Amino acid sequence: MITNPLRDPRDRRLPRVPEPCALVVFGITGDLARKKLLPAVYDLANRGLLPTNFALLGFARRDWGDTEFAELARDAARKSARTPWREEVWERLASSVRFVQGSFDDDDAFDELAGALSELEGSHGIGGNAAFYLSIPPAMFPTVLKQMQRTGMADSTPDRWRRVVVEKPFGTDLASSRALNELVDSVFGADDVFRIDHYLGKETVQNLMALRFANTLFEPIWNGHHVDSVQITMAEDVGIGGRAGFYEETGAARDVLQNHLLQLLALTAMEEPVEFSAEQIRIEKLKVLRAISLPDDLQTFAVRGQYEQGWLAGQRANGYRQEEGVDPASTTETYAAVRLGVETRRWAGVPFYLRTGKRLPRRVTEIALVFKRAPHLPFADTDTEELGNNQLVVRVQPDEGVTLKFGSKVPGSVMEVRDVSMDFLYGEQFTESSPEAYERLLLDVLLGDATLFPRNAEVEASWSVIDPLEEFWAGTEPFPYRAGEWGPRAADEMLAAEDRQWRRP
Amino acid sequence: MTTLWDTTGSAVVKELAAQRRTGGAVLSGVALTLVVIADESRVAEAEEAATYAAEMHPCRVVIVVRRQIEAPVPRLDAEVQIGGRLGPGEAVVLRMYGRLALHAESVVLPLLAADAPVVAWWHGAAPDRLATDALAVFADRRITDSSLADDPRAALRIRAEDYVPGDTDLTWTRSTAWRAILASTVDSVAGRRGDAVRISGGRIEGDPHNATAQLLAGWVSSRCGCSIEVTAGSRDAGPSGVESVLLQLDQGEEVRITADHRGGAVISQPNRPDGTVALPARALGDLLSEELRRLDPDEPYSDALETATGLGGLTERSPEREHVWFDPAEGDETPVEGSLTS
Repeated sequence: MITNPLRDPRDRRLPRVPEPCALVVFGITGDLARKKLLPAVYDLANRGLLPTNFALLGFARRDWGDTEFAELARDAARKSARTPWREEVWERLASSVRFVQGSFDDDDAFDELAGALSELEGSHGIGGNAAFYLSIPPAMFPTVLKQMQRTGMADSTPDRWRRVVVEKPFGTDLASSRALNELVDSVFGADDVFRIDHYLGKETVQNLMALRFANTLFEPIWNGHHVDSVQITMAEDVGIGGRAGFYEETGAARDVLQNHLLQLLALTAMEEPVEFSAEQIRIEKLKVLRAISLPDDLQTFAVRGQYEQGWLAGQRANGYRQEEGVDPASTTETYAAVRLGVETRRWAGVPFYLRTGKRLPRRVTEIALVFKRAPHLPFADTDTEELGNNQLVVRVQPDEGVTLKFGSKVPGSVMEVRDVSMDFLYGEQFTESSPEAYERLLLDVLLGDATLFPRNAEVEASWSVIDPLEEFWAGTEPFPYRAGEWGPRAADEMLAAEDRQWRRP
Repeated sequence: MTTLWDTTGSAVVKELAAQRRTGGAVLSGVALTLVVIADESRVAEAEEAATYAAEMHPCRVVIVVRRQIEAPVPRLDAEVQIGGRLGPGEAVVLRMYGRLALHAESVVLPLLAADAPVVAWWHGAAPDRLATDALAVFADRRITDSSLADDPRAALRIRAEDYVPGDTDLTWTRSTAWRAILASTVDSVAGRRGDAVRISGGRIEGDPHNATAQLLAGWVSSRCGCSIEVTAGSRDAGPSGVESVLLQLDQGEEVRITADHRGGAVISQPNRPDGTVALPARALGDLLSEELRRLDPDEPYSDALETATGLGGLTERSPEREHVWFDPAEGDETPVEGSLTS
C-alpha cells in the first residue's frame, strides 16, 4: 500500500497485520473451536499479528454470559496454545470478547449478533470488517447463511469487508457441493468465501512449491519421462474417535481423498504458475484437477477397506463395526486407495496412487515420486540386485522435510549397489515453532489472502473425481484389514497388477 | 561433548568429523554458519541466544572467545558439541589465548560449513573498524550490538562510519516491534480515510542516548522526510529506549503510541477508541533469529542509520572489506577494541 509512507517493499521485517476487524465464530463451544481456533487466536495476538482493534464474538446455543465465555475461551486457549502463556496478552484479548447466545433459527439471537457487531464497530473501532467462521455441521449452513442474509451481515461494501470461512466437508457429492457453493456464493461474494483445508497451511506444502519452482534441479525430471509413478499417502493411527455419526455418513474417500489428497496431487502435478499469487496458483491447480482421469478397471484400481479389530502400538484396537455408534453391519470405508491418471502432456501414462486410512501403523503424510530405473546399467546383474527406484519424498507430517533415495556403493572390495536415503529435516524445534496451520490460515483470512484456500471450482472438480468412485462402491462391502496393518490385501494387489508396490512410509 | 585442551585447529576439525560420524542421526541440513565473537563474561548469554537461533535456522555455531592476548604462549582450547547443550546442530566453542587471538580466522576458516553463508555476530563491544577483525572480512553478514557500548549513541555513529552493505546492528532489530505497530496504525488511518496519509512531523519520548530510539527516529524521518526528535521521557524506557511515539499527520490528525510497561502498547488515533497491542520485551535469541532470517543488505536499516547519524552514501559503499592488520600490543593511537563494560 503506497498510501502509507511507513510501508516499504524492501522492508521485510515488518509483519503483515490485518486491518481492524472482528472474528465471529459460530459453534464456538465445539471441539475444533476449542482445540484449534481459540489457541490460534491467542497465538496470533501473542505474536503481535492481530490488528489493534480486534474483537472476537462467539455464537452458540449455551446459556452463557460474556464472563463465562471468556473463562472457557481462556482455558481452551491456555491448554492448546503454541506460544508461551502471557496473562496480560489474554486479558487484552478478553476485553474484546463477546458471547451471543441463541439457536441458529432464532431471529432474535441474530438481531442481537448484528447489534453486537455494530456496537463493536463503534466501541472497539473494528471498522465494520468481520470474518464469520462456520464451525458447524454443514446441515446448518443454510439456516445460518439465511439469517446472515436477512440481517445484512454478509454484505461487503467498499467501506468494509465481510468474509466467511467454511470447513470441510464441502458437500457430500458434486450436486450437494454445487448447491452449497451456490448458497454460500449467493450470500457472500465468491471472493469472500474461504474454504479451509488445514493441510494447505502446513509449512511443507508451501515448501513443495519452493522446492519445485525455486530450484533448477527437480523441475527437468518432474514429468512422465523420468517419473515412473507417484504415491500420495495420508495415514492415521487413530480410529474415528467420537465422530461415529459424522463418519458413518462420510467415509475415508469423502473425508480425506476428496480434499487433502486431491489438493496434494494438484500441487504435485501442477504447472508453474505465472506468478506466486492466489489467482494464478488456483488456475494451475484447477487445470490439474480437471485433467484427472479414473481407471477403466475400477474393480482392480479402486479399493476401499474397513478396519477390523487388531493390535496397534501395543494396544488392542476395536474394529470399526464395534466402535460406539457404528452400525454393526456398516459398509462405510475407513481406507481408500485409488489409481488416478493426469491427462496432460507432462503426466500422461504416470499413475498417481492415492491412499488414506485410519488405524494404520503410524500417522504419516507424504508425497513420493518414484523415478524410472536407469535404461541401462553397466554393472553385472548381481551388483545391482538391491538397487530400487530412485525416489524423492516430500514428508508433510510428521518430521517435515525431504528425503532423496538413491543407489550407492556398499563399501568393500566387491561392486555392490544398494539404496540409501538422504534426509533433509527441519529441526525438531523449527517445526514446533513454525506457525501452526490454523494460525497461518486464520491470518490469511483476515488479510484477505486466498493463496492457500481452494475455490469452489476446485471443490467441484474434486467431487467429479470422487462421485464415480462412490457410485461404483455403492452397495459393495469394503475389504477388511486388521487395525495396525497397512490396509487391505486388495490395495497391495492393485499395485502388484502393474508390477509396483507401496512404499512403506 | 568433547573438550580438547591445548589443541590445534586440525584436531578440532577431526573431532567434529568424528562426532558427526558417531553422533547418529543429527541435523543434516545446514543453512549457514554462525560465528559468535564474545568475551568470557558474556559467553553464557551468547550461547543461549545462539542455541535459540539455531533451533529456528539450522546452522553450525562457532563461538570464539579471545582471552589474555598478552599471554606469552598462544594456546587453543576447544569444546565440540553435536546435538547437545548448544542446540540441535553442530557447535564448537573456541577459547584462544595469546597471539592466536589475532589469528582467529586460521582456526575458524576450516570449520565453516561448505559453501554456506557466514554470519558473524559480536556479542560485546565490536571493533571500531570491523575490517581489523579478519572474522568480519569473510562473513556475509555482520551483526553488532551498539547497546553494549558505554555510549550507544557514539557507537551507532561509529557503525555508520564503518558501514558497508551487509552490516546490521541489534539496536535496529529492537525497533522492529515499534515499527510494526507504527506502520499498522498508519495503515488503519489510511484504511479509514480510503486515501493516502502524509506524516508531517512527530516526536519520540524516551532515552535520547538509546541507539534504538535514535534509529526509530531516523527511520520515521527517512520515510517521511520530516525531522523527528528524541526527547527525554519521564520513566525508564527499557531496552528499546522508547516510551511513546507521536506522529502528526496531514488533515490535522495525530496518532500516539505509548508503551504500557506491561508488555503492551496503547494506540490512540482519531475517530477510534484506544486499542492495545502486544509489545513484548524480546529475548536476545529472538532478535538474533530475526537477523538470520534474511542475509541480504537491509536498505531500510542503512536509510535509518544515515538519517540518525547525518552521514550519507552508506548504500553506495562496496560490500567488500579488506583485512586491516591491527595489533593492540603495538599501542596504536586508534584503539580498536572498545572498552568493555563488564
